[in-house]
Amino acid sequence: MKIFSESHKTVFVVDHCPYMAESCRQHVEFDMLVKNRTQGIIPLAPISKSLWTCSVESSMEYCRIMYDIFPFKKLVNFIVSDSGAHVLNSWTQEDQNLQELMAALAAVGPPNPRADPECCSILHGLVAAVETLCKITEYQHEARTLLMENAERVGNRGRIICITNAKSDSHVRMLEDCVQETIHEHNKVAANSDHLMQIQRCELVLIHTYPVGEDSLVSDRPKKELSPVLTSEVHSVRAGRHLATKLNILVQQHFDLASTTITNIPMKEEQHANTSANYDVELLHHKDAHVDFLKSGDTHLGGSSREGPFKETITLKWCTPRTNNIELHYCTGAYRISPVDVNSRPSSCLTNFLLNDPRYKIDGSLEIPLERAKDQLEKHTRYWPMIISQTTIFNMQAVVPLASVIVKESLTEEDVLNCQKTIYNLVDMERKNDPLPISTVGTRGKGPKRDEQYRIMWNELETLVRAHINNSEKHQRVLECLMACRSKPPEEEERKKRGRKREDKEDKSEKAVKDYEQEKSWQDSERLKGILERGKEELAETEIIKDSPDSPEPPNKKPLVEVDETPPVEKSKGPVSLLSLWSNRINTANSRKHQEFAGRLNSVNNRAELYQHLKEENGMETTENGKASRQ
Amino acid sequence: MPTVVVMDVSLSMTRPVSVEGSEEYQRKHLAAHGLTMLFEHMATNYKLEFTALVVFSSLWELMVPFTRDYNTLQEALSNMDDYDKTCLESALVGVCNIVQQEWGGAIPCQVVLVTDGCLGIGRGSLRHSLATHNQRSENNRFPLPFPFPSKLYIMCMANLEELQSTDSLDCLERLIDLNNGEGQIFTIDGPLCLKNVQSMFGKLIDLAYTPFHAVLKCGHLTADVQVFPRPEPFVVDEEIDPIPKVINTDLEIVGFIDIADISSPPVLSRHLVLPIALNKEGDEVGTGITDDNEDENSANQIAGKIPNFCVLLHGSLKVEGMVAIVQLGPEWYGMLYSQADSKKKSNLMMSLFEPGPEPLPWLGKMAQLGPISDAKENPYGEDDNKSPFPLQPKNKRSYAQNVTVWIKPSGLQTDVQKILRNARKLPEKTQTFYKELNRLRKAALAFGFLDLLKGVADMLERECTLLPDTAHPDAAFQLTHAAQQLKLASTSTSEYAAYDHNITPLQTDFSGSSTERM
Repeated sequence: MKIFSESHKTVFVVDHCPYMAESCRQHVEFDMLVKNRTQGIIPLAPISKSLWTCSVESSMEYCRIMYDIFPFKKLVNFIVSDSGAHVLNSWTQEDQNLQELMAALAAVGPPNPRADPECCSILHGLVAAVETLCKITEYQHEARTLLMENAERVGNRGRIICITNAKSDSHVRMLEDCVQETIHEHNKVAANSDHLMQIQRCELVLIHTYPVGEDSLVSDRPKKELSPVLTSEVHSVRAGRHLATKLNILVQQHFDLASTTITNIPMKEEQHANTSANYDVELLHHKDAHVDFLKSGDTHLGGSSREGPFKETITLKWCTPRTNNIELHYCTGAYRISPVDVNSRPSSCLTNFLLNDPRYKIDGSLEIPLERAKDQLEKHTRYWPMIISQTTIFNMQAVVPLASVIVKESLTEEDVLNCQKTIYNLVDMERKNDPLPISTVGTRGKGPKRDEQYRIMWNELETLVRAHINNSEKHQRVLECLMACRSKPPEEEERKKRGRKREDKEDKSEKAVKDYEQEKSWQDSERLKGILERGKEELAETEIIKDSPDSPEPPNKKPLVEVDETPPVEKSKGPVSLLSLWSNRINTANSRKHQEFAGRLNSVNNRAELYQHLKEENGMETTENGKASRQ
Repeated sequence: MPTVVVMDVSLSMTRPVSVEGSEEYQRKHLAAHGLTMLFEHMATNYKLEFTALVVFSSLWELMVPFTRDYNTLQEALSNMDDYDKTCLESALVGVCNIVQQEWGGAIPCQVVLVTDGCLGIGRGSLRHSLATHNQRSENNRFPLPFPFPSKLYIMCMANLEELQSTDSLDCLERLIDLNNGEGQIFTIDGPLCLKNVQSMFGKLIDLAYTPFHAVLKCGHLTADVQVFPRPEPFVVDEEIDPIPKVINTDLEIVGFIDIADISSPPVLSRHLVLPIALNKEGDEVGTGITDDNEDENSANQIAGKIPNFCVLLHGSLKVEGMVAIVQLGPEWYGMLYSQADSKKKSNLMMSLFEPGPEPLPWLGKMAQLGPISDAKENPYGEDDNKSPFPLQPKNKRSYAQNVTVWIKPSGLQTDVQKILRNARKLPEKTQTFYKELNRLRKAALAFGFLDLLKGVADMLERECTLLPDTAHPDAAFQLTHAAQQLKLASTSTSEYAAYDHNITPLQTDFSGSSTERM
């Protein structure tokens, strides 16, 4: 449906003239006899609604269904007409709800049967309806502003639903002519106005209603084009439930609604609490919800619904959901619904079941929250090692107090203190020579020595903190503390202490860490949860530690072998295992002693096709079992 | 998106094409050549997609059911026999059946019709089908529009001049129109030769089979990905916003949310998100999906060893039971999530929401979603025992606000009986009694149904006279008071008749508050 179709603006014009105070002549028994109390009591006489009451409650039901299914962008303007027009609300979204309309209707009250009928007319209301259709809605205004020079693409169409008691067909004709004429005049005015819009199309729905048992003086007439702008249709309907049924059919037509009946819903019986009976509940919704059903050819058509106002309803069987189910299901559409019989027990049981969650709303700040979320993601991912064996600090419980706060935009004094404590704690660990969870995957022997492990750890921690020093002066202070405390033995001393090869390797890893920093391609590692800070940090901590496949190596063990002759490791290949070093060496040595097989030389991925010559000779594939080669 | 190739094998396809200085080609050879090119492209870029091959003349036959094995499709191309006349309608009916059987009515499908533009003669010819189009009943409905979302691409083994010399082109255009404009006609530019056929199929590939590459971003973490099938442009409102929206090639993750909170939202389409390795020239090397194939691209193996953000993201979403909200464009969002294929295998997938600032009403405006740390107190509670979602709408729907509807007599009777029931349990039920009384009063005033107020007042007065001797003395006072108030509301224009006025319980010496005063 286009946003600005006729359904964008609906004007109700309800007759409030003296004759509308007449009874609809359909009785309602309201004093129902209750068991055990019937003796000797005569029930109070039944009452009946006035034409006015029937009209108002039917139009309220129309609005109820419309608001349920289209809470936005479908607007109603309610006008009552007697000696003048009383416009009960405006097009603004705040005015669009049942409570407002009910309060305004109560203020108007029922028509006064003793008022002078000569002064009263539905025409006042119809003129006001045309006038109000020219008024721009906030949605139209927004769309026009957005489209700038294409503002004329925003349509102005509307529908007038007029409920009255007409005298005759010619009276109806007169009302139509009046609307036609008024549109013509108001469009002229609107053409020269910035805040009015010309009516492009208007659907007039005239409903003539009369007491049950009387003959109608007005005949039905299907939709007819009176002018390029105006179409009109006439419905002659008896008051009471007939009028309500008519408006129910109309709301379905006007808003493309369809009906679905949920069947076999188990509900506890009021009288017998431990038994449950099955009920059906009929719902209205946009008819798009049925498109896929109809396409599949499986229409689940339940035929006519019991009450009969709708031609057809699709039946679905209730399926009680499992309460702890949090799977994601594929869903092609979700539609708002409105129960046909809103306050029947089955309907309210169903809707209450569906509405049972407690809810509340988060306050929005001035900044756009989503931008703040993006900002936070940026901060959290500045340094984020992608794989567990690439990181030391995120495998250490001891670092968590610092790592969890350093990513924040600003730090409190307490945060800084905690960071400093973390650093002191690490210094302490180093002094005590505590083992670190350094990965040994892909490294030679036992991996780096203890002092080197700490150096790697300090480097990584420095990378993390440096990534955030521009956040605030307090972040800077954390770095200062880190730089003052971290162990950094003089380069020369290091060189003496360690073998040459070893240092090459270590420098490389150090350089790698620096690279992260320079390219600002900060990598990951504290799980993604951290991004939204679910306050589950404790859980996360244990997971980080638990997830590490590398338990710290036992202390005081020297590397088993130190291979001096190994060729320099090629950068692109990464770390090489002892086995492959050994095999390479043996292979190289052996290869010098023999000539390589021709097949291996010509192989692709270490596979050589055998008996290739046969293929060429025979011009066909070799047989599977290789017998062909012997022939 | 699955593809059905519908190949014309009528006799007219065997018409020779004069190609200078080489062996003689027939139109069907040109068609096979073009299709080979399409299959090769799909084998490289669309290897997860299913394709079927249908041949037709006056009859139709499913040569290759939906498969990912492009070799089988390729082989079938070389095994096609020549048959009689063209009968397009029955072939299209066949396509409907094949697609609906395999995919149902919701999966979008591309139909590539390869024909020479000779549309058959007599009954069953396209001209005949179109001429009788308006005289059809539900039983012999014309197969177009296809009963599933579709694109119909018509590849003509003929050039424009040839098609325009008859009404062929008009007829084929009608076909596209009948498919609600979904599709396109391709013709050969210039003389019929292999090169020009290639360029025609090249255009089809560009239009319908180019892979969608994007960069998935989450802060500083990024991954090159292929989004499969390709997300199609979306038109929001044809009147106001007629320009189709296309999704960004930068897919930026803006946050994460629990699956329970997003709760199976409606989506326009869903797609696999496959990591790809790009070499320095920016060409695709291969997708990162696991494949047992021995000849697997070595680049893939290298790619498999480099840590990839997609792997991290997929694993994390799966473990945490969350989805990532991803921005697809201005005011357009989607979600990334882990979708289990089987017990062991799951994939990273992306679903697109309908464009707009608030695609899921229960989450409110997307731009208003923010980090938890910004909230004054954790909206999920300290023990993660609550959730801020779904949001409560500003105006409750009718079914959530206890509206009064008296259209059916039973609605009115239930409301009156509720009052009566509580009236008999006064003073214990004083609060409920007045609550129901006020609800009825308000509705009666709004509907101008003043007779009801009088009637209920009479009823309450009668109840008063029927009170048993054992009744609490307060009951009689409250009933009389309530009846009086209803009468005031029904007759006068005083403040007692105001809609917002509430009838409050009469303060008596027996009621609780008066005890306090004593």
